[in-house]
Amino acid sequence: MNAQFKKGVLELCVLVLLDRKDCYGYEMVDEISKNISISEGTIYPLLKRLRKDKMVISYLKESQDGPPRKYYQITDVGKEKKEGLVAEWDEFSTGVNDLVHEKLMNNLGDITDE
Amino acid sequence: MNKDEYIEELNKLLKKLPKEEKADIISDYEEHFMIGIEKGRTEEEISEALGNPKNLAKQIKAEYMLRKAEDKQSAGSVFEAALAAAGLGIFNLIFVAVPAMLLVAILLTLFVLGGAMVFGGIYVTLVTVLKLILPQYNFYITTYNGVLGSLGGILYGIGLTILGLALLAVLVYVTKWIYGLALRYLKWNLRVIEGKKRS
Repeated sequence: MNAQFKKGVLELCVLVLLDRKDCYGYEMVDEISKNISISEGTIYPLLKRLRKDKMVISYLKESQDGPPRKYYQITDVGKEKKEGLVAEWDEFSTGVNDLVHEKLMNNLGDITDE
Repeated sequence: MNKDEYIEELNKLLKKLPKEEKADIISDYEEHFMIGIEKGRTEEEISEALGNPKNLAKQIKAEYMLRKAEDKQSAGSVFEAALAAAGLGIFNLIFVAVPAMLLVAILLTLFVLGGAMVFGGIYVTLVTVLKLILPQYNFYITTYNGVLGSLGGILYGIGLTILGLALLAVLVYVTKWIYGLALRYLKWNLRVIEGKKRS
């Protein structure tokens, strides 16, 4: 998939997941890679940037099995950003879908005409 | 690559970052390995999925330099950020480093020109005035003779100085603007690179 595209999508996915509940890094990677193939390591620099841009905050929380984990929580700024990205994504994906399906129908039309 | 090898490699590649910054980053990846192992994946599988440490380190370094450039505005830091971004690949060498160097060169030339105009103006004014006061000395420069000529020379000198100062003022403004623009461009650029599919 196009590189530029994927990067924006990764940010969108992270914010959407965090809007549902606080997560630790691995959890998000796990969830995202179920759906799309990503280079898993890239999520940590992304999280760092989101934290710097005040879209998420992080805190340590004990876990039953092992040392404490670093959890991330979305902020109001992050929620606002997420809303914007989701709206952009919806508009974009609907546009592409319309185009793809319209083209498909035209192709079918051509075939039936012959 | 197993966990220790991966972490070691990353550590080595990030050796230029400040200690706490590096420790913070490494701890993220150590946690990632630990949880992955708990979930039953092998160290090799996790390394593979994380992606090439070289690419990762480049991305981390570029992000770090960019953040530094944002926090502390200086020509050096934005240049470092551009260089780090350029390290991400030949695409960036062409699309980041070359325009950055060109811009810096143009700005530098204009700054020198502005400075020369200011000093040149002051010089012409001074010499003309001095010649008016001490006509017996030869200042080894073609200046203006006679009262009218001297007046013209002084006005020319002052005008040149003011023009030079105006140019410098505009340049400072333009440079600040370009600085902001450069940061935005680098950020966009990073986003493009980061999205690269794992190989």
